[in-house]
Amino acid sequence: MPESVVVGRDVWKVYGSGDTAVPALRGINVDILRGEILAVMGPSGCGKTTFLNCFSGLDDISRGQVLVEGTDIHAMPDAKKSDYRARRTGFVFQSYNLLPILSAEENVEMPLLIAGRSAQEARSDARAILTEMGLGDRLAHRPSELSGGQQQRVSLARALVAHPAIVWADEPTGNLDAEGSRQVTELLRQLNRNFHQTMVVVTHDAEVAAACDRTLHMRDGLFLA
Amino acid sequence: MAVSSTVALLLLILVVVFAVTGVLALRHRLAFRIAMRNVRRGRVRTALLIGGLLVATTIVSGSLVVGDTVQQLSYHYTYLGAGYDDEAIRALSPSGGFLYFSYSAYTEVTTALSGYGHVTGIAPEIVDSASAYDQHTGIPETALNLIGVNGNQSTALGSFVADNGTQISGPAPGKVLIDDQTASALNATAGDPLVLYGQTKLPLVVQAVVQENVRGAFITGGLSPGNVFVSLSTAQILENQPGKINYIAITNTGSQADGAASSSSVSAYLNSTLAPTLASYGLTVETPLETSLTQATQSSQSTLTIFLVLGLFSIVAGAMLIVGIFVMLAEERKGEMGMLRAIGMRRRELVYTYFFEGVAYAAGSALAGTALGVGIGYFLCYLAGSVLQSEGIPQSVFLQSFTVTPESLVIAYVVGFLLTLVTVVVACRRASRLNIVRAIRDVPEPAPPVRTYTFLAYLGAVMLLVGALVYATTYRGTTDISYPLISGALIILGAGLVAARFLKNRIVFTTVGVALAVWAGWVPLHGFLLGTNHSGGIFVVFVEGIMMVGGTLMVLLFNANEFAALLRAMLGPKGQSSPVVRVALDYPTRQPTRTAVSLTIFALVVFTMVATAGFGATLQGNLNNLVANESGGYSFFGVSQVPLPNLWGQIESNSTLAKEFVNAVPMATGLVDVSVSGYAANPYQDSVYAAPATSPGATDFYTTNQFAFASTLNGTSASATYQELATTPGTAIVDNYYAPQTTSITGGSSGPHPTLSVGATITVAPLLSEKPVRVTVIGILKETAFSGVWLNPSTAASIGFTNLTAYFLTVAPGVSTTHAAQDAKRAFFAAGLVLFDIQSLIAISINTTDGFIGLLEIFVGLGLAVGIAAMGILALRAVVERRRQIGMLRAMGFTQSMVLRTYFLEYTVLTLVGVAVGVVLGVLIVYNLTVSPSATTEGITTFVAPWATILEIAVIAYLLVLVAIAGPSLRAARLPPAEAVRTTE
Ligand SMILES: Nc1ncnc2c1ncn2[C@@H]1O[C@H](COP(=O)(O)OP(=O)(O)O)[C@@H](O)[C@H]1O
Ligand SMILES: [Mg+2]
Repeated sequence: MPESVVVGRDVWKVYGSGDTAVPALRGINVDILRGEILAVMGPSGCGKTTFLNCFSGLDDISRGQVLVEGTDIHAMPDAKKSDYRARRTGFVFQSYNLLPILSAEENVEMPLLIAGRSAQEARSDARAILTEMGLGDRLAHRPSELSGGQQQRVSLARALVAHPAIVWADEPTGNLDAEGSRQVTELLRQLNRNFHQTMVVVTHDAEVAAACDRTLHMRDGLFLA
Repeated sequence: MAVSSTVALLLLILVVVFAVTGVLALRHRLAFRIAMRNVRRGRVRTALLIGGLLVATTIVSGSLVVGDTVQQLSYHYTYLGAGYDDEAIRALSPSGGFLYFSYSAYTEVTTALSGYGHVTGIAPEIVDSASAYDQHTGIPETALNLIGVNGNQSTALGSFVADNGTQISGPAPGKVLIDDQTASALNATAGDPLVLYGQTKLPLVVQAVVQENVRGAFITGGLSPGNVFVSLSTAQILENQPGKINYIAITNTGSQADGAASSSSVSAYLNSTLAPTLASYGLTVETPLETSLTQATQSSQSTLTIFLVLGLFSIVAGAMLIVGIFVMLAEERKGEMGMLRAIGMRRRELVYTYFFEGVAYAAGSALAGTALGVGIGYFLCYLAGSVLQSEGIPQSVFLQSFTVTPESLVIAYVVGFLLTLVTVVVACRRASRLNIVRAIRDVPEPAPPVRTYTFLAYLGAVMLLVGALVYATTYRGTTDISYPLISGALIILGAGLVAARFLKNRIVFTTVGVALAVWAGWVPLHGFLLGTNHSGGIFVVFVEGIMMVGGTLMVLLFNANEFAALLRAMLGPKGQSSPVVRVALDYPTRQPTRTAVSLTIFALVVFTMVATAGFGATLQGNLNNLVANESGGYSFFGVSQVPLPNLWGQIESNSTLAKEFVNAVPMATGLVDVSVSGYAANPYQDSVYAAPATSPGATDFYTTNQFAFASTLNGTSASATYQELATTPGTAIVDNYYAPQTTSITGGSSGPHPTLSVGATITVAPLLSEKPVRVTVIGILKETAFSGVWLNPSTAASIGFTNLTAYFLTVAPGVSTTHAAQDAKRAFFAAGLVLFDIQSLIAISINTTDGFIGLLEIFVGLGLAVGIAAMGILALRAVVERRRQIGMLRAMGFTQSMVLRTYFLEYTVLTLVGVAVGVVLGVLIVYNLTVSPSATTEGITTFVAPWATILEIAVIAYLLVLVAIAGPSLRAARLPPAEAVRTTE
């Protein structure tokens, strides 16, 4: 029986308060298994992004408990949470969120530097993973000089370069055409196979979901059974 | 009048701008509505914007208010001193006083003017000098103004007011009226027995102490020396001039201002009507009030110019800030604008949106700026008042003179409005250039196409041509040195723009930057290429400053990556691997345009402050030199009514004085008309001095004086030149005002003055004389304190200057000048000896100059507000724009403190680079002025950098920047990462 990396128990997230309170997560119970690729699907506004933010520790929760690798992440002070993110998680977003002033390889180096690795190590690891992703000839390009698919691959490289335990991806293919989308999905699959990283992929796209190990459907802040 | 026509023109421009705006608003209603909505959108942001925009207006307004007040202050003393004496009929004597003439001249004048309606009073007077001895207090005082006048003949001049408030029509027989100055010098009160000494002595009684109003402050304006008033017949006895007067005061109808206004027409009338009388008595008609008012206007204009030119730095910085603000606005509204364009709004409409918004902001900020400028003007005047106290002007008088003319308000408002508007329009055009797709998708602006470079190359060619043309016509001339300097810069920039079409920007603009900085900052190059005959004023400092700062920053910015790499290397291994250092250094180096704007602002401001502080410090540091140069090493300059050719002998035989003095040099002195070939306003009235050729040691001017030469004929040594002056008839030396004027640390002479070089031949004639002599100038002195021509003694004697009535004296080391002066004045009281403590007078005047530099420092310090605001706005902009990036960094594990540290480091680097550039160049420009020939001439030989002040400026600037960015950086650190990374569109 594979162990659970992430365990959520009765997790609530309520935005705002009083009359304007919006309950985005309404008592979620979930187990995410080590090494799996989990797809999360659901209509717009059902709480997918909220789920991802709350379970990855980017955002606070209103009630309940999220245990990641055995620790309650919401009990950590901000600095420890940041440190945990730096060492154990990677993020991929729909809008890439690359730093426009940095080149592709500099963007990819960033998580390694944050985790305290030396400049040389960071550079060679970044080059290696970018080359592996077919961007060996785009190392010194700025994001504005890359296509959407290329930018998303850089952001994927950035999420994976420090070998995090879990990768959180929020609609990673949302801005891409079919071809770009297929490439990114393929990469996710391949990296998961090679490094056994746990991946949580929020998506609209049934094809992307089909490539995952398991799919959870969400509606109104709850997973459908 | 010229002023009001300027005002009318400015108002007209304002009306036209508003009218055009109104018409455009009607034609583009949607744009107008959007603009007005944007203005109203946030109070805080509008207040911030207006704060940023009002700088230019504040500076113009503050400068004008200072100018107005200085003018009003000069008017105050002019009105006091001239009183109701609109025209004066008199003849200047070569010894500096007025020549006596028969009382019948007065009778002739009254008869001739009996039917003339523009004149209400004609008063016969004696204006001379006298000494006084208060027998009650036992205190003597020399060199008082003696005014002989009858009350019943001088009612039009106003009445005396005793200190207790009673009105007095004039001095009674046997009595003397004394003003407050005299009363305090003698410690005298009404009823004291007072002996007056003129050519004879007379015992009188103090009738009253009178206020220094328009009557009591006649001639002196209420400043020292004091006045004593006696009846006309008493004065005639005292000066031994029975039946004679030396001054006819004429009062025009109306107020003092009316009188001054009608003075030129009245004096023209007097000159024609009284022609026979004037000719037969050898008299001239002067217009003391009007002339002094004109001079007051001129001197306040030059104060205004200094403030405005130094303010230019802040104005330029302010303009760049405005561009920064508007680009930020545009970026913040990118999405919104993209939508507007996407739903079919044309680019022109978008420009109008910004234009309307700009007009609204310009109108509002000009108003706020004008008001703030008035406040700052008051503050500066308050400080100036405390500086001028050492010159004997009470601070209260300065503050009472605080004036804001409606003209100044209009000029400040309109000029400020237009300056702001023009900058805003330029900024709007830039802001509206955003491409729709790029605007929506948040893609950075691409590099400009080749087409742009081609256009710039043509522009460069034009600049090159114009520059070359101006340079060729001015480079070896005598124009203001700004012409060849600016045209040289045009050539460099133009060549750069042409080259940029073909070569890499980095290579081209690094070269251009180095060339500009060297061209402006390496002074020997100017001497070599431009010669030494150019003139120059304070504007040159501005020109050189802008060029040096601009050039240096150009080099830094086009090599920003290398610069950042250097900084990283300097930070060691952490510099390479710290993500905080990476992000902090990469933002400014990879957004060079924005960095350029804020750096330029900051560097300019610091540059101006450091340069101003440096001038002050250098002046102070050379005080001893300056004093020595100006005083010739002597302690006192003295004049006496009775010649004392054997002053030194008398001092030696007086046991007290013999111990106090080491020398006493007698000289002949007087007033002359000097004609210099090439001078437009010949003759120029000046003083002459001549010391006897052969006199024993302690009385020999030619060996005891330490006046240094700026230049001598054929480069002869100083002692040889003095020997030649003593022995060769037809030789002369002149003070430094005769040297061609160049850029000077102390500002140089005011008013037109003839200039010449050594070897020139000039003519010198006693006033009212037909016998000029031609003399050759064999030396130009460094001093300006004793302005005039020093003649060979036999040449001086040939035109009548034989009476030895002027003296230089030196006190023995360790002796108090105050005591020595008191003892000497007491001993030579009967001869009317007056002594001036030259060294302390010079020190006071230099300290006053330094005090003013301090004021300017505060004024230019206002620019610091611009620099700080620029940094704050840049930081704010960075938070808005980097929202998602900060979120991503947080997601990757940046802690809040790392975000804070990133901001802190980024702005520390920016500020320190700005401060460093400003400090280095500010110190350099002071150094350049210090080593310039004109400064050396003035005795500025050592360069003093005010390191303590500079450190203060740097630390304060840095701390203020930290305060300004504290809010934005905290905001950035506290961004909730989940919110920040959310894709919202
Ligand atoms: N900061 C917020 N404040 C209030 N409501 C929010 C906020 N963020 C998201 N929501 C609401 O929470 C619900 C879930 O949003 P989200 O997690 O973004 O959904 P999804 O990613 O599935 O489209 C939506 O109704 C959304 O409007
Ligand atoms: Mg979502």
